[in-house]
Amino acid sequence: MSDLPGPDTPDRVALVFWTLARVLAACAGFILLLTVTFLLLGIAPAEGLRSLWAGAFGDAQSGRWYAVSETLVKATPLLLTALGVTVAWRAGLFSIGGEGQLLLGAITATATVRLMGALPGPMLTLLALVMGAAAGAFWGWIAGWLRVRRNVQEVISTIMLNYIALYLLGWLVDKGPLQESARRVAQSDPLPSTVLFARLIPPAWSDGIATRLHSGVLLAFLAVPVITLLLFHTRTGFGLRLIGQNAEAARTARYPVRALRLQAMALSGALCGLAGCVELLGVTGRLFANFSPGWGFTAIPVALLGGLHPVGVLLSALFFGALTAGSGNLARFSGVSSVLIYILQAVAVLAVVGLRAYQALRARSEGD
Amino acid sequence: MRRARDTVAAPSPLVAPSDPSSEPVLRMQGITKRYGATLALDQVDFSVNRGEIHALLGENGAGKSTLMHVLSGLTRPDAGAIWLEGREVRLTSPRQARAHGIAMVHQHFTLVPAFTVAENLQLDRPVVDPIERARSLGWSLDPQARVHALPVGAQQRVEIVKALATDARLLIFDEPTAVLSPPEVEELFVVLRRLRDEGRTIILIAHKLAEILAVSDRVTVLRRGRNVVVCRTAETSAPELAGWMIGAPRALDAAADGDGGGSVAGEVSDPVSPASHAVPVPAEGPASRAGGLVVRGLTVPGDRGEHAIRMLDLQVRRGEISGIGGVDGNGQTELAEALAGLRPIAGGQLQWDGGPFRPGVTPRIGYIPQDRRRAGLAVTLSIAENLLFDAVREPEFRIGPFLRRGALYRHALALARQFDIRTGDLNLPASALSGGNQQKIVVARAFRSDPELIIAVNPTRGLDIGATRFVHAQLRRARERGAAVVLISTDLDELMALSDRAAILASGQLTELSQQAVRTADIGLLMGGMRVSG
Repeated sequence: MSDLPGPDTPDRVALVFWTLARVLAACAGFILLLTVTFLLLGIAPAEGLRSLWAGAFGDAQSGRWYAVSETLVKATPLLLTALGVTVAWRAGLFSIGGEGQLLLGAITATATVRLMGALPGPMLTLLALVMGAAAGAFWGWIAGWLRVRRNVQEVISTIMLNYIALYLLGWLVDKGPLQESARRVAQSDPLPSTVLFARLIPPAWSDGIATRLHSGVLLAFLAVPVITLLLFHTRTGFGLRLIGQNAEAARTARYPVRALRLQAMALSGALCGLAGCVELLGVTGRLFANFSPGWGFTAIPVALLGGLHPVGVLLSALFFGALTAGSGNLARFSGVSSVLIYILQAVAVLAVVGLRAYQALRARSEGD
Repeated sequence: MRRARDTVAAPSPLVAPSDPSSEPVLRMQGITKRYGATLALDQVDFSVNRGEIHALLGENGAGKSTLMHVLSGLTRPDAGAIWLEGREVRLTSPRQARAHGIAMVHQHFTLVPAFTVAENLQLDRPVVDPIERARSLGWSLDPQARVHALPVGAQQRVEIVKALATDARLLIFDEPTAVLSPPEVEELFVVLRRLRDEGRTIILIAHKLAEILAVSDRVTVLRRGRNVVVCRTAETSAPELAGWMIGAPRALDAAADGDGGGSVAGEVSDPVSPASHAVPVPAEGPASRAGGLVVRGLTVPGDRGEHAIRMLDLQVRRGEISGIGGVDGNGQTELAEALAGLRPIAGGQLQWDGGPFRPGVTPRIGYIPQDRRRAGLAVTLSIAENLLFDAVREPEFRIGPFLRRGALYRHALALARQFDIRTGDLNLPASALSGGNQQKIVVARAFRSDPELIIAVNPTRGLDIGATRFVHAQLRRARERGAAVVLISTDLDELMALSDRAAILASGQLTELSQQAVRTADIGLLMGGMRVSG
């Protein structure tokens, strides 16, 4: 795990080779596991795999653009929340609070649009994003403050804060101040279309099918280099990674460990809050009780699969996005419940975890 | 009284003066344990009689704890045999030792803080009612109290009762007085005697001479993993014990047997007379000796809120190495952290060059913490990153908010070369380095910015001769440059070889070794927490 430029040695070439070999082995293992899963569920494996692939990357009949755009759209909230998880976990803070921060971000963005409706569209969009991210940051900061001042473990406090945000949302859209004017369904009024993100691909370009690819996707992708820069090219990032690996050594070297922990939790929360805003302004256009299907939780395996490195997290989020889009398609055509995606995601994570465990075992037996 | 003083090299006839009526309940013979290049125990014999309090005395690293870990099944020896009640036994796990009636009362308690006293006492499957057992010792324990809410002395009682409740016949106490106040120590001794009178056998790992003299029946002294002497406590004295503990002129010893036990032979500048360590008295006068650190009435809280350092006075001039010796756990860490500005102080004044003491600013501080893996390094980060803890925060290595990674890498490379860190690739994790090379990272960071005040705690612990010599040379160079150096070390040879002035830290207080030559025995007495008259 080196983060500084060094000489190109034969070791490096070997490292790249083995990394590629590992990825290929993981893919092969995953396909094998999928096949077994399909057999257990009574789906013809070949048909199941084809349907999954078509949902994620398209095929000749259904067109490529739509499937690929769906993969990107599904990957977006996962990417932002997983980056948030990456920042916190790199700093040694095992935050489980992505879900609550995401919800609070979406709530705050909705409230901002509602309250500041007089502002012109683009400015209101920007304001909603900023306020949503700030709300997520605040939610993360609370857990950070409890940790550094009261020594409350963030694993516990972030889970509690998730519930607070979840039930706050439930109340707000069900008889609360954000419920639709008709007051029938537990949802908010649709946001004015002027504040929503633009669709990036005109239907004319994508075989006449309207895609949901929105400009917020670009924002998520932009976060990858930003977080990479922050973690590996700034003094703050160095400090965050140092307290994550050995906080006592950081304290002894006069790093402000408490301040760094607060920063890590706030930044992590901001990214998750932003994910909520992006989903709100790019896809749903309104707030409702089941706004998030658990993105903030899925973010943890996404981040771990990506090796807690922003570039790895990008690939991992795309993989999970493809899996989500693909299994949606599978569910439509095979009649299997779309809950299948969770099984498939779990299978993917287990494949990787198993591989890691095997490598750790081998490293240990070679060690002594 | 027979003794085997300073005949460590020869297989000496260690005749334990034993009471003919009492057979040894425990006999350990030829116990040898090697850790890498270090011989922790070298053919150690140890024998304890039924119903005695047997003290095991030695400096840090003498092998006391290793020997007792062998006895309690925590460590497997490389060679040697153990007889219990006349039968040879193999102790391969703590559970097995427990089954043989051996229990250890650890210095760091093995209690679950969030559990109640009663719950903790159930953990070891007691065979007698622990609360009742406590009452028979004159202790009343509240079974419903949470352990974390109890004061340290009470926690230790729970720990002791826990061991007794399994009806252990042989109890090992690992420095039990380290955490206790004087009245609590007295109370503990009463209990130890009562246990002995019940017919139980007690082994007391200790380094405080007064306590050994007060409570033990016999004492075994270890030095550098070897037997020195066994004798009846009544027939010895504190100076004699002190002499056995730290040995006769150690620098010469080291030169003779040439082992790598920590000291570097031939680095002692002054000729040493056989019965004394020379303590050079600083020459007064030169301008370089002016200024420096002045500490008055320093009081520093320990982690448990007790006063680990009490009303301590200290002066360290520029161009001077001030050595502080003593046994671990007497306030070394707290003193070092207070001087480095890392631990808030409870009282006292610090001055630098006659002005305010602002650690890190005036003076610039180089700090070598005691435990490199815990406080010195992040071993999972790369060697380069470990070298750059401080550099990344300096403006010259940044453009705007961004790090100049190329310049930082070249800086790390230069430090690695300058401080002789031997590795093919600075991007490897620091855990890939040997202990000596890891320590050089910590040393490199401490010295890289020409600090004016250097605080080094056991800077050469665990290093081989070459690395030790290197670190010593760095400390000397800093002194020549005019830095004030505080060297806190449990290695007396190191202190004597490097220090311009030396003092012993015991129970949070310093005693300066002010005479030109201090008798070895006196140093041992001071380390054992005794006062030296005259």
